[in-house]
Amino acid sequence: MSLENILENWSKYRKGHEEGGYHEYEHMWGMAIDLDKCTGCNACSVACYAENNLAVVGEEKFSKGQGMHWLRIERYWDEPDLGEDKVNEYQIHGASFIPMNCQHCNAATCEPVCPVAATYHTPDGLNAQVYNRCIGSRYCSNNCPYRLRYFNFFSYYEDSWPEPLQMQLNPDISVRDKGVMEKCTFCVQRIRTAKDDAARDDRRGPGAVKDGDLKTACQQSCATQAIFFGDLLDKDSAVSKVWEKHEVALGKSSQNKSNPDKRGYRVLEGLNTDPCVMFLERVREV
Amino acid sequence: MSTYKVKRRDFLKITGLTGASAALAACDMPTTVTLEEGEEEVVSYLMPEEYVIPGIGVWYASTCQQCDAGCGIIGRVREGRVLKLEGNPVSPINKGALCQIGQAALQVHYNPDRLKQPKLRQEGKLIDVTWDDAFAALKSSIGPDSGLDGSRIAWLTGTVSGHQRVLMDAVSEAVGGASHYAHETLNDTVVDKVNADVYGSANVQYKIADAQSILSFGADFLSTWGSPVHNSVQYGQFRDAPRGVLIQAEPKMTVTGGSADLWLPVRPGTEGTLAMTIAAELVASHGADATKLPKAMADQLGQYSLDSSEAQTGVAASLVKQAANFLATRAPSLVIAGGTAAAHEHGYEAVTAAAMLNVLLGNVGKTIIPVADFPYPALAPKKGDTAQLAAFAKKAKAGDISVALIAGTNPAYTAPDQLDMAAALSAVKVKVAFTEFLDETSSMADIVLPLHSDMESWGTHVASYQVADPMISLQQPLMEPLYAETRSLGDTLLDVLKLYNAEQYGPFADYYAYLRNVVSAVPAVAKEGASDEAYWQAGLQQGMLKVTAPKPFPAAIATAANDDASDALVKSADTMGFVLPVYEKNKDYPLSLIPAASSRLGDGRFANLPWLQEAPDAITKIVWNSWVEMHPATALYYGFKQGDFVEVASAEGSVKAQIYLHKGINKDAVAVPMGQGHTEYGRYATGRGVNPLKMLATTSDVQTGELALCATRVTVVSTGRNEELVKMGGSESQVGRKLVGTITADQLRRV
Repeated sequence: MSLENILENWSKYRKGHEEGGYHEYEHMWGMAIDLDKCTGCNACSVACYAENNLAVVGEEKFSKGQGMHWLRIERYWDEPDLGEDKVNEYQIHGASFIPMNCQHCNAATCEPVCPVAATYHTPDGLNAQVYNRCIGSRYCSNNCPYRLRYFNFFSYYEDSWPEPLQMQLNPDISVRDKGVMEKCTFCVQRIRTAKDDAARDDRRGPGAVKDGDLKTACQQSCATQAIFFGDLLDKDSAVSKVWEKHEVALGKSSQNKSNPDKRGYRVLEGLNTDPCVMFLERVREV
Repeated sequence: MSTYKVKRRDFLKITGLTGASAALAACDMPTTVTLEEGEEEVVSYLMPEEYVIPGIGVWYASTCQQCDAGCGIIGRVREGRVLKLEGNPVSPINKGALCQIGQAALQVHYNPDRLKQPKLRQEGKLIDVTWDDAFAALKSSIGPDSGLDGSRIAWLTGTVSGHQRVLMDAVSEAVGGASHYAHETLNDTVVDKVNADVYGSANVQYKIADAQSILSFGADFLSTWGSPVHNSVQYGQFRDAPRGVLIQAEPKMTVTGGSADLWLPVRPGTEGTLAMTIAAELVASHGADATKLPKAMADQLGQYSLDSSEAQTGVAASLVKQAANFLATRAPSLVIAGGTAAAHEHGYEAVTAAAMLNVLLGNVGKTIIPVADFPYPALAPKKGDTAQLAAFAKKAKAGDISVALIAGTNPAYTAPDQLDMAAALSAVKVKVAFTEFLDETSSMADIVLPLHSDMESWGTHVASYQVADPMISLQQPLMEPLYAETRSLGDTLLDVLKLYNAEQYGPFADYYAYLRNVVSAVPAVAKEGASDEAYWQAGLQQGMLKVTAPKPFPAAIATAANDDASDALVKSADTMGFVLPVYEKNKDYPLSLIPAASSRLGDGRFANLPWLQEAPDAITKIVWNSWVEMHPATALYYGFKQGDFVEVASAEGSVKAQIYLHKGINKDAVAVPMGQGHTEYGRYATGRGVNPLKMLATTSDVQTGELALCATRVTVVSTGRNEELVKMGGSESQVGRKLVGTITADQLRRV
């Protein structure tokens, strides 16, 4: 892909997904997160550490932004600075929490910049990372507008799991080594298991995995059931229904809503990344 | 394999199932078991190898033991290792969900700092010994040949329930009247007393999902208070259409406060005044019937106006008006109080004032339901608090305790310096620690008995907060013990009991055998026709044993008839002479210290779990360390900036930590989270951050004698050093981007 080619076809390339693009998807794994139910409790994040062999890096490396939290709860204040008026001198509407994991963009900005195609789009609609193809250029994380890719600056395994903590590691997935990029996979090992189970029941190909066959680790732990996960190609799946009800559709960079008060939106959608994670707005009574 | 004989009456006694008369009336021995004839064969638990299929994970049910909420868990076991914990979907408590602390129970089990070998103190040092040697030392201290007066032995534990408690009580009785002190820094002693006095039962159920408006005074019910996962499940439903409105009144924003529609920054210690002001507003503007209240309280309502309240509580009158309006117009409402609201010299009065709002709003019997005690009192939780620790310390310092049996609590870390636990423990001749880790307390012990982890142990437990029909939670091992020289607490207790009563306890090969027989003794009516074996297997599969008593249960003590509740209130108000405190400024120590319960590290017991150390705090997003939360206006007044290292000093002590500024804290308060500042608790916890509990004044709640955690006043001085805080995320605001979108409830209703 020469620079000339990229510049010439930029608009076509970036808008390609709106015109159709790849159509042979078996699944289109997607998520919806209800921010009015999310309490910011962090259970999902620790569940992700447990499921996905995420390294604990320690205070010093965390201070350098090297925390490996594939799913993190961001917290924002309505107005962090000192207000002038009497009411706004306090955060009277609480805080704003948002769980952020890889948005599995269908027009992922991380994918085209990888010099070795270590990150690519799977026929399941996943934004995948092939660890043993990755050469650690970090172009992808540089290009992710959500900052949701995590780089192994060190061989964290050397001191993240001192004996016998390593016995807890999930044998279904690898432990990543120095120089490799990693990120949320939508618990791809659980998807694989569900596919294998489906195949044993003689269900294969598109739609083989039924809604509810699997839950991601974060979704499973969520007490308020703020997280929906499933196949967006399955119109009857719980997650599809949430997307439809709140009038958010894939393949668009802005949504035309019948009612502007419908709560669905995608973060930084205007960047034309076409994320597969959709959020429902937080609601406040006053 | 062992065969033994046991008499039925004796058997019932040692199982702890001699319960309330209602339950006993139907107590019928199961017919399918030969126990009626007096004999049964017991086979110790063994995992047959043919159950293990390489590459296939199998999920087994158990009960989470990280706190006393008793959430059901399922653990994924593959090739003999437990790999992942999830909530048990059939548990009525957590319905499949699990909090971050529950997830991290795996790191207790696999912790690199777990004790592998018993220890004995020899010439002042703890020396590794075999289990047999350590148990011999225990035997010579408390065994029948010790010659010790049993009343000089004391248990010092955390909250205990189920058959662990039954066996502890049996040991106390066997040695000749040992006393039992349970200590928990975070407890509901004050709330339980108010509930008993106002609603007629210490046990109440909060129907969060059924409410349309909730006002919570200091109770962080989504994270650190009550049964957090259960409450969160209910909260999810509460936010479904028609969406309920949450109002949280507290001096420092908690996880629950972060989700509030309206957050009221009440000045520490004035929560009762705020509750009375809202009551007065409900009567004045919303036609609430003041005659429902006891006269002693109703007569005082006139003293509370919106304006006078603002000066006291620091909460703007307009916000109080809004809160009252929500409660009056969004029925049914629910008022909860606890946590920081109860943690003052007059915490009891504040929680009572809040409970009064429930009476005024007609919530009793609708969203707040008093329920009967657990039908088997011997199994019910013995709840810990600091008042019991103070009693222990007093008795120890008087030289009246020769042997302390310590399990599940770490008072050398959690007790304020003023209680002088070091002196109290030094005065105890033999300190026995049953523990998985060397912490501040167990490192002072003379005999250290390393325990199995919760992933390796059998157990039965009764949740402190019963959410539905009474049940016993069942804990089963999820893998073989990692270490040869550790034992479970239940087994050790049985071994001690066998020293005293070989006839009764001898037949039980181990704790499993004991529990298995206990289950045989559960009344047949609770088994609903299932055979004993089927009942046991179902219990293992579900992680719980239903023990439904013959009568419908729970029987609500107070019904929707509010007059009944009012009678109880009149009594309590009259007997205590209801008076609320006036906030007084303190020139030398101008700020109130909130030692904040941590949603990650609890009271410090989870500080050795790396996942939780690296999990950012929900409000500040700080990791691995301690901090001081302060309002920016307060910081401006004193000249502090974000990241400044300051010294927070009370009359009793001081701590140094960095400042985090945010507007989610009352201007007259500073908050320092609990959990860090360990001097001895393994590699992840030791030498990290500070412990605010040490510098607390020993002010107590007047009515209950429980330590008032938030009653300490402090001053804050600069140390002249500033560093960047180690926290997640750089930006505190969204700077105009739509990351977290927000709409108003009016917009939502238009959809």
